[in-house]
Amino acid sequence: MAEEKIVAPVYDDEAEQAKFLEERRRQIEEDMKKPFDPEAILEVRHLRKAFPLKKTLTGKVTQELIAVDDVSFKLMPGETLGIVGESGCGKTTMGRAILKLHQPSGGQIIFNGEDITAYKSPQMREIRKQMQIIFQDPYSSLPPRSTVGGILSEPVEVHNIVPKDQVKAYVLDLMDKCGLRDYYYERYPHEFSGGQRQRICIARALSVNPKLVICDEPVSALDVSIQAQIINLLKDLQRSLNLTYIFISHDLSVVKFISDKIGIMYLGSMVEFGNKKEIFENPLHPYTQALFSAIPYPDPDVKMNRIVLNGDIPSPANPPKGCRFHTRCPHAKEICKHVVPTYKEYEDGHFAACHLLEEE
Amino acid sequence: MSEKKKNTGYLSGKEIRAIAKENAKVMKRLEAYKYRKAEESEFLSEMRDPDNILEIDDLHTYFFTEQGVVKAVNGVSFDVPRNATVGVVGESGCGKSVTSMSVMRLLQGPQGQIYSGAIRFQSKDYKRDEKGKPIGTETEDKVYDIAKMPIREIYRIRGKQIAMIFQEPMTSLNPVFTIGQQLDEVTLIHTPDATKEMAKARSIEMLNLVGIAMPERVYNAFPHELSGGMRQRVMISMALAANPRLIIADEPTTALDVTIQAQILDLLRDLKTKIDGSIMLITHDLGIIAEMADYVVVMYAGRVIEKGTVDEIFHDPRHPYTIGLQKSKPTLDSGDEALFNIPGNVPNPINMPDHCYFKERCDRACEKCSGAYPEMIQVSPTHYVSCWLYEEGNENG
Amino acid sequence: MEERKTPAVESTAESELPLDRQVRLMSPTRMVVRRFFRSKLSLVGLAMVVGLFLFSFVGPLLYTQWGEIQLDESGKTEYAVSETTYTVDGVEYTVRQTTEKSLKDNFLAPPSAEHILGTDNEGYDIFVRLMYGGRISLTVSFIAVFVITVLGVLLGGVAGYFGGWVDNLIMRVCDVLICLPGVPILLIISTLLDASDIDAKYRIYLLMIYLTLFSWPGTARLVRGQILSLREQEYMVAAEAMGYSTSRKIFKHLVPNVMPQLIVQMTLSLGSMILYEATLSYLNLGVKAPYAAWGTMINIISTNQDILQNHLNVWVPAGICIVIAVLGFNFVGDGLRDALDPKARR
Repeated sequence: MAEEKIVAPVYDDEAEQAKFLEERRRQIEEDMKKPFDPEAILEVRHLRKAFPLKKTLTGKVTQELIAVDDVSFKLMPGETLGIVGESGCGKTTMGRAILKLHQPSGGQIIFNGEDITAYKSPQMREIRKQMQIIFQDPYSSLPPRSTVGGILSEPVEVHNIVPKDQVKAYVLDLMDKCGLRDYYYERYPHEFSGGQRQRICIARALSVNPKLVICDEPVSALDVSIQAQIINLLKDLQRSLNLTYIFISHDLSVVKFISDKIGIMYLGSMVEFGNKKEIFENPLHPYTQALFSAIPYPDPDVKMNRIVLNGDIPSPANPPKGCRFHTRCPHAKEICKHVVPTYKEYEDGHFAACHLLEEE
Repeated sequence: MSEKKKNTGYLSGKEIRAIAKENAKVMKRLEAYKYRKAEESEFLSEMRDPDNILEIDDLHTYFFTEQGVVKAVNGVSFDVPRNATVGVVGESGCGKSVTSMSVMRLLQGPQGQIYSGAIRFQSKDYKRDEKGKPIGTETEDKVYDIAKMPIREIYRIRGKQIAMIFQEPMTSLNPVFTIGQQLDEVTLIHTPDATKEMAKARSIEMLNLVGIAMPERVYNAFPHELSGGMRQRVMISMALAANPRLIIADEPTTALDVTIQAQILDLLRDLKTKIDGSIMLITHDLGIIAEMADYVVVMYAGRVIEKGTVDEIFHDPRHPYTIGLQKSKPTLDSGDEALFNIPGNVPNPINMPDHCYFKERCDRACEKCSGAYPEMIQVSPTHYVSCWLYEEGNENG
Repeated sequence: MEERKTPAVESTAESELPLDRQVRLMSPTRMVVRRFFRSKLSLVGLAMVVGLFLFSFVGPLLYTQWGEIQLDESGKTEYAVSETTYTVDGVEYTVRQTTEKSLKDNFLAPPSAEHILGTDNEGYDIFVRLMYGGRISLTVSFIAVFVITVLGVLLGGVAGYFGGWVDNLIMRVCDVLICLPGVPILLIISTLLDASDIDAKYRIYLLMIYLTLFSWPGTARLVRGQILSLREQEYMVAAEAMGYSTSRKIFKHLVPNVMPQLIVQMTLSLGSMILYEATLSYLNLGVKAPYAAWGTMINIISTNQDILQNHLNVWVPAGICIVIAVLGFNFVGDGLRDALDPKARR
């Protein structure tokens, strides 16, 4: 957090780029000084995470991979934010940066009215009771050598959630809530199928009574019939425990089902953000439109009018100049190749970043 | 002691030894059968319907594990007609991949074995002498029973007449050879008297066919220089290079992003009209099946529970599992109410009960479901379902 | 166990239970044991190792006929009779003097009921010395491996977990230590030891401790590598997200998962430590006479050509013991690796 770097290539002309960068920096600084929204449970301002790719011998970073670039949003308690994007769009990194599993390279994370961006691990330990994460792969996210009972009671004991003699009862109650049978208590993770393991992961995340749960592709590795079970479980738990979710997924139909707000990410930046209804009824960004049309529809009679995007997703280590989507965008214009579009509010609470919209 | 041991739910040492002994006996017999020498007449067969290219008949493929016999494919029968796409759909562990592995004879021995059943394949191959060397370029039609073929004879079919596209394009290409070398090899192996120039021309042609813009550049590239979508295109071109009669695509788009998946599906659909062959498409995604397939086979826990044309399966699904599967997938226009879900989990394939495997999860289970496993019941000329609800005279059906 | 119902009865009794209750799998421990014993080689290895242990540690308690440094003095005694005749005053006196010429040790005796494997050039019982030599070799290897493991886990763990400059420092020290030629340095140290006045019985332990100082980098690298890969596992990220303290993460989550590889590495290095010990003793750097070690017992041949050719019973048994020990530990180690690492190919 020492210095705010903006290395995104913007203009071909250096002087103009410098001017733009200065303007941007000033704006970001201004934004960061604004008071926190007292109602929001989570406020993310200009979040940025870069991983060093190449270093000189003295440790100076010469090349970076910008996984998350200037992402901002606000989340109210009890809401679900769905984050959609393809591989390499930075959605997982963003989730982990919010939890401070990766130290953000810039921006602010305000959780419950506290700026936790600069918190070190002892302070974070307290915060972590309130923010939890569920991972994509239910096979590697459970320690292989502990029983289910051990996995679930450990966080309860560490954080002193209930008195020692009530831990087992608490854990059994939790297992019941998550649809796990009581005799699983003594069993090891390898004896379970993916769906049951994901239930164990959910139970573990909920064992510390969090307020915010980041679900990082929790159903992508599961079968369709199990997916539905897990999604329903997550929804039920949200209702009964008043949880706030950030639901990360590449599957638009799942995200649509569970979310109140949706953010679409492409190569590290948020290209569109808004309420579910607006996003689905009136997708503004061409990438969102293409994503919608790419989903196979389970009815042989419906022939989709599909927008097939050309080419591959560029490498995040070497993103294209200007609008990052211009290499695949069916409507790309000259300006898109040079200037990064600004992320603006087009309708009430509906943000997007695209030059085509600015013209209209 | 005895009581305590029992409650742990684990196998005792005695049982484990009994299982191991039993397995070793069967595995030895099947391995010997697999590696035997046999006359061609032993594995020649007749097609039930000459319009089919592949007929799988009561196939049983078992895995002999230490915990017991896993009946991964337990009596599967279906046909792949000429120039058609057959979609095999099911959840993980339903045996759809093992079925394709059985057809390709790629099962990992000695644990994985075809236990019984027939896989009849309509082969069109060069005439060969006794040693298996092709004579000239004349072709002949023969029907082979792949399940009975000794493993040393499988080269007549594998990779040449039946080609496979795998799920993981990242690991299915050899990283130390260029795309060109790997593509050329296919032609060189399967075409008699092929020269390097012919092979290269063929490879470039194939790369063109799968929509690669600069085939010469890709030809000289190494796999790591290509993206996932490109690699999957290369894999498809590789499968096509030997002009196969049947392509087995095992989850060809699962590892790809949605927008790339759309490209590959488009490509596969185009190819179907360009090549003279059938496609067996294995996937868990009903959406892909609806888009691509002509016929659908729904599998559950090693058995086919319903099969029919794509219209029948999507517009008139009969089996409660098929119905549940379609309802439990959220679509872009589904509402906000709770998703329909099939309760419970896919049963563990060891020690399967005798009754319908879906009984525990079925919302329409009746008394009869606890009895014998239901037979395939024909509901239309092409539509079969394995459920007691549709037995003749049953009012619920 | 006898009360176990037949499977048919069992399945009806349990048919009300959900399907997953009907399926009985192997418990994790049993899976490991089963995989270990599936390989005949590991069974042979285990038999070898257990046999050697019994031989070395229980043997001397049962076979007490001879001690480790007890010479067999039953050798022939030579009597010399000397006569001195002198005349005093014409009378002739003869003084007959019988000297018992020293009790000769029973050296290089062939195998017999008295000495199962005969005696060596000093007259020590070879069989008994094999047992005592085994004690030394096995104890020394265990101590060495223990110290190596402790050092390796601590330093490798710290390097792997914290990374950064700590990692860099420890790994560079490892590199340097691996570059140093072990045997020449040991020779120097041993010369120094010779100069100082250290009891012959203890110098081997000292030498082994020096040896461990040169051997820990192997273990440290293994542990570091393991921890680096485990740290990326999602369950470690989950532990971080759970807000566990660093020590809990290391000792409750990382170390138990490194254990399997560590146990394998320990077993395999036991074998190499035995070899080291034998080499040191052979080079006359280890245990000094009159105490026995397998290496010292072979060392006899370096000074006496006759024994090398004509008295195989003196040095071959010690060699066989070394081979059995090293092979045994390696077999067990390989078996353990297959059993503990589920991803290892069968």
